Amino acid sequence: MSRLAMLIDESICMGCRGCQVACKQWNDLPGEETVQQGSYENPPDLSPTTWTRVKFTELIQGDSLQWLFLTLGCFHCGDPACVEVCPTGALKQDPLLGIVTLERELCNGCGYCTQFCPFGIPRLDTDLLSGEGKASKCNFCQDRVTNGLSPACVKTCPAGAFKFGERDELLVKAHARVEQLKQAGFPDANLYGENEMGGLGRLYVLKERPSVYGLPENPQYPVMANLWQDVVQPLGTVAFVAAALAMLGFYFVARRNIEMEEVE
Amino acid sequence: MIGNKVSRVEQAGQAGVVRIKWIPKYSAMERVFHWGHTVTYFALALTGMILFFPFLQPIAQGESGWLIRLTHRAAAIAYGAFPLIYVILEPRRAWMSLKSVFKVSRYDIDWVKGMVPYYMFGRHDAMAPQDRFNTGEKLNAAVIILGSVVFAVTGLIMWFGKGILPIGVFQTMVLLHDIAMIVTVCMFIVHFYLAVLHPLMWAGLVSMRFGVTSAAYAQEHHALWYYGPEKARETYEAQKAEQAAGQES
Ligand code: HEM
Repeated sequence: MSRLAMLIDESICMGCRGCQVACKQWNDLPGEETVQQGSYENPPDLSPTTWTRVKFTELIQGDSLQWLFLTLGCFHCGDPACVEVCPTGALKQDPLLGIVTLERELCNGCGYCTQFCPFGIPRLDTDLLSGEGKASKCNFCQDRVTNGLSPACVKTCPAGAFKFGERDELLVKAHARVEQLKQAGFPDANLYGENEMGGLGRLYVLKERPSVYGLPENPQYPVMANLWQDVVQPLGTVAFVAAALAMLGFYFVARRNIEMEEVE
Repeated sequence: MIGNKVSRVEQAGQAGVVRIKWIPKYSAMERVFHWGHTVTYFALALTGMILFFPFLQPIAQGESGWLIRLTHRAAAIAYGAFPLIYVILEPRRAWMSLKSVFKVSRYDIDWVKGMVPYYMFGRHDAMAPQDRFNTGEKLNAAVIILGSVVFAVTGLIMWFGKGILPIGVFQTMVLLHDIAMIVTVCMFIVHFYLAVLHPLMWAGLVSMRFGVTSAAYAQEHHALWYYGPEKARETYEAQKAEQAAGQES
């Protein structure tokens, strides 16, 4: 099998939130008590127990209103910064399928993934003082897809907005759909995720610019993650070894040259 | 000046007995601070490195990883408490120590020049006179003091600022915390070598353990502290002149 992806056609999504519910059901996540925010959007944010969420955007153009839906969850980046900064190996990228998974038993709750994800996806359930806790996020239903099933959100979508399969094939379909939308009167229609962050495993067909949906137009791999892992870490190793070896060398030189009797 | 107070230790000795005149150098609080800081620093460096080095990943996982993080946080509180208690209980001594750590003079440059012949070959004919701390000790203290400030600021932000501050701030803090770790651990390795392993350097260890130093050692190694600036300078000039004369003949 080659790299997997899901393609979400947001021009088809009707905002029913079936994916949200299916995600909770399959992953055994409890519901949350929330308060009315003045929108159909609910819950208001991703959380340790909400890994998939439909974001509602009300776009007013002249005297018409467009209701935009966006199913948020882990983007399964081709170059996942979270995997690079995770000190435990709990976050992994499947070398074959390309999906980014989080093994909760290995997580120690440091929360670095939450601070290096350019999309702000992983959520930390932690005690502020002791730091005890776990991170959580969408696993692309690893248990389902490795057994030949589609992810729960894909399976449940009644509108058929989700497609799931090999990434290359989905990209071809997505480009065709974008062309179709452009001709149907959506000049800003676009495909999100083809090249961003090494290519995303969550692809969107959007009617409007990504920023209208609240997506970063040009998400960047955090430079600090590179500096940290590729520069400071090896530098630290070299510096410690060099310092220790130098001192060992000095010790032998000093021993040879210093007459202890003279000192005493 | 502390060094000028002659200690109570007996001065009259019998024939054949080596008489050592001990003078006080470090207060009890200063020694508790030094060793408390050493132990907590060690604990912090070990627990922190488990998150830092990828090859230690198996220990950083799951429950044990969390306990290591918890230990790091607990040790951090003690690490911050020792200097604060020192400053609160002995503010005048703390201020005096701080001033002497950051006071740099021509003697420090001369000391650095004389360092290699001295530490590698045991030659110390005309070492620049030193205050209560010598140049190397001052460098070590300055790096640790500044490093500790960086640790405390960045560490507290990593502890309490996660999710509140923009992620770029957190990322920068991790990086600075790690750089401080690398710089101070290298300094620590050098300090450990000079203070514990180096064949000539047992006197400092004695002072840090018992709080005293011998007058003879202080005269030779901390002349500026023992004699004061005037006499220290005269002695140094005389030594240099003698040495130059010796080389000519
Ligand atoms: C006031 C003192 C300090 C405080 C408040 C502090 C706090 C922290 C915190 C909160 C973390 C993040 C892990 C977590 O969330 O549990 C951390 C990581 C770390 N600390 Fe400290 N720390 C302090 C001193 C030190 C010292 C003295 C050292 C080393 C000599 C050190 C080395 C490290 C290292 C290497 C990491 C791992 C960073 C990484 O993942 O690359 N820390 N510290």
